[in-house]
Amino acid sequence: MWSLTRPDAPSDEPVLVVDDRVTGATEDVLTVGVTLGMPRRDAEALAPFATVLVRDLADEARCFEPVVEMVENLVPRVEVVSPGLMFVPVAGAVRFYGGEGPLAAEVAKELDELTGDQRGGDALVGIADGPFAARWAAATATSDEPHVVADTIGFLSRLDLSTLREAMGGEEMIDTFRWLGLSTLGDLAGLPRETLASRFGNPGVLAHRLATGEDRLVDPRDIHPELGVQMSFEEPLESLDAVAFAGRNLAERLLKGLRAAGVAPHTVTVIVEAAQGSTRERIWRSADPFTEKALTDRVWWQLRAWVETAGVPGGIVGLSITPADLSGEGRQLGLLTDESSSIEADRAFARAQALLGPDRVLQGRAQGGRMPGERVAWSRWGEPEVEWERDLDAPWPGATPSPSPALVPPRLQPIDVEWDAGLPTRIRLGSRWEPVLTWSGPWRLSGRWWAGERDADRYQLVTSVGAFLCVVSKGKAFLAGVYD
Amino acid sequence: MGIHGVTPGFAEDITTPLPVQYTREEGFLHLQPGRVTELIGAPGTGLTRLGLKLLAEPSRVASVVALDTRGWISPEAAWETGVLAERLVIVRCDDLILWPKVTAALLEGVRAVYAEVPALIKDHDLRRLTGLARARKVAVVMRSMGNGLPTGIAHLRLRALGVTWEGADRGHGKLKKRRLVLEASGKGAAGITRRFEVEDEGTDAVRVVSDVVIDQARRSVG
Repeated sequence: MWSLTRPDAPSDEPVLVVDDRVTGATEDVLTVGVTLGMPRRDAEALAPFATVLVRDLADEARCFEPVVEMVENLVPRVEVVSPGLMFVPVAGAVRFYGGEGPLAAEVAKELDELTGDQRGGDALVGIADGPFAARWAAATATSDEPHVVADTIGFLSRLDLSTLREAMGGEEMIDTFRWLGLSTLGDLAGLPRETLASRFGNPGVLAHRLATGEDRLVDPRDIHPELGVQMSFEEPLESLDAVAFAGRNLAERLLKGLRAAGVAPHTVTVIVEAAQGSTRERIWRSADPFTEKALTDRVWWQLRAWVETAGVPGGIVGLSITPADLSGEGRQLGLLTDESSSIEADRAFARAQALLGPDRVLQGRAQGGRMPGERVAWSRWGEPEVEWERDLDAPWPGATPSPSPALVPPRLQPIDVEWDAGLPTRIRLGSRWEPVLTWSGPWRLSGRWWAGERDADRYQLVTSVGAFLCVVSKGKAFLAGVYD
Repeated sequence: MGIHGVTPGFAEDITTPLPVQYTREEGFLHLQPGRVTELIGAPGTGLTRLGLKLLAEPSRVASVVALDTRGWISPEAAWETGVLAERLVIVRCDDLILWPKVTAALLEGVRAVYAEVPALIKDHDLRRLTGLARARKVAVVMRSMGNGLPTGIAHLRLRALGVTWEGADRGHGKLKKRRLVLEASGKGAAGITRRFEVEDEGTDAVRVVSDVVIDQARRSVG
């Protein structure tokens, strides 16, 4: 594990690095109660003085690249999980270096030397049986002393249940374990696997496997060479746009071929051939089978890292991706949900996103608010849900009652309404005027005066062609929804 | 007591749950895989809500999508009609060139689609999409933003004839219940044009009132 430093962070100011949660912070921000993993909004409330930087994974991958190269020089076949975290199979290297201790010491020493050259923090090294145990061994190591775990089962049994969260999510399941009186992975490992399978299904079995040190799935299937995909370019690719396009194309082709074979990859090897003849390769690994988006992201991070660090002199003339660690997990059907449909739907949404852009494929989540337009928190499909702007559980007196209008303009639309003695009589729809047959309201909507909002009145106007939700403010009428 | 009493012999008949069996009209409100249902009617007649309601049943097992050409569809109305929030994706596309491609991409992977069809989409694009929906067994609801779909596309056509609202009364109350009079036609209606009424109270329960006399229903329009 390697902590990364943002080169664009102001050196003398407190800094917070976030995506939807805190991924990094300076010491002075941490001292006011901000913790890594804390929701972004909470962290910003606790440290309003901090400069907020949005996490850039591609840039982190570029910064991490020299570290990966250094480790790869010592031990071949490095598996990069995410920028800052990599796994290295050490079975062969242990014999070469004379034991796990000397190997870990050698890696730590090299990393220490690199720390002097690179802007980065501490490098943590852990050795254990399996990636999950090794990751937490590294987390409990110090920069001075690698953590070599002699008894992996014993080490895992002392870990808190929350360590499962990073590997498999399952927040609700972890809460249920705690409610059942379990607190460590050892408690979980003591339960019969069949019981967990019948109560929690596949996630329960996976949690038990992790707790008992069986996290790496063994899949004896051979990898047919034709499942790998490659592209050659007559003109070397040098621009990032061209490289991104090629990477995305190749990733899609790879997964399409694998789907036809009924398998999904947990590990892929990205190989590029430079115009000057050299070849670079990197292995990326994922606990879950790679989806198109996940694979495309990783291929893009890797290619960008190589291009920006001048790792492919003269440009890219060949690109290939080879899958490994194939499993049938991508095709596993669940009892209550149609998993295969879910995978196909994800692919369809990713394709729509590619055609339209990420801002056009959206998911909504209910949040609090008085107007229909306020009560939906939008997030891009495939990205973490955005934080609530308004608390759903707050009472929201005066909220527009259900049924909700099915059409809600993104912004209030000016609309012509004719009034007679304060009562609505006609509404203009396109080029014609429709008489208002009946209405409800006005309902007062008190604006946030401290934010410059004004009070307004709401009306539900019923015409012979439908009903409309209107807002009237300072004598002007606005359309807020159509009960279509 | 006499006022609130129940005539002996009737109470049991009323409270005994009926076996789940759709009437013909209720069947119109359940999508069929590989078939296109067309909704015809002016904005404001409640067809968007009806189209979203049709996605509720498929959303229980897989993701569903609403293809929004105006950028106005509110998922809140869909949630109220029973569509599962985590299974509903809204795709916004107002580009005439991209619309057929995006729709085709969605038909390749989604079980049910509610699609607003831009007015100027070419007939042959719609026919190809219908063929794709049939091949992929995707249930599709289409609502044309123009003058309706060309012939031969829709298996079932639901035309809104009128909408009435209850609850609002010259400033008092609030919109509470909508009655939508629909006319079903096409192969899905066995070639017979049928009229029926749908009651929508803003929840996921939509009640079908069969065999309404249309003149009587239109009497209270508005």
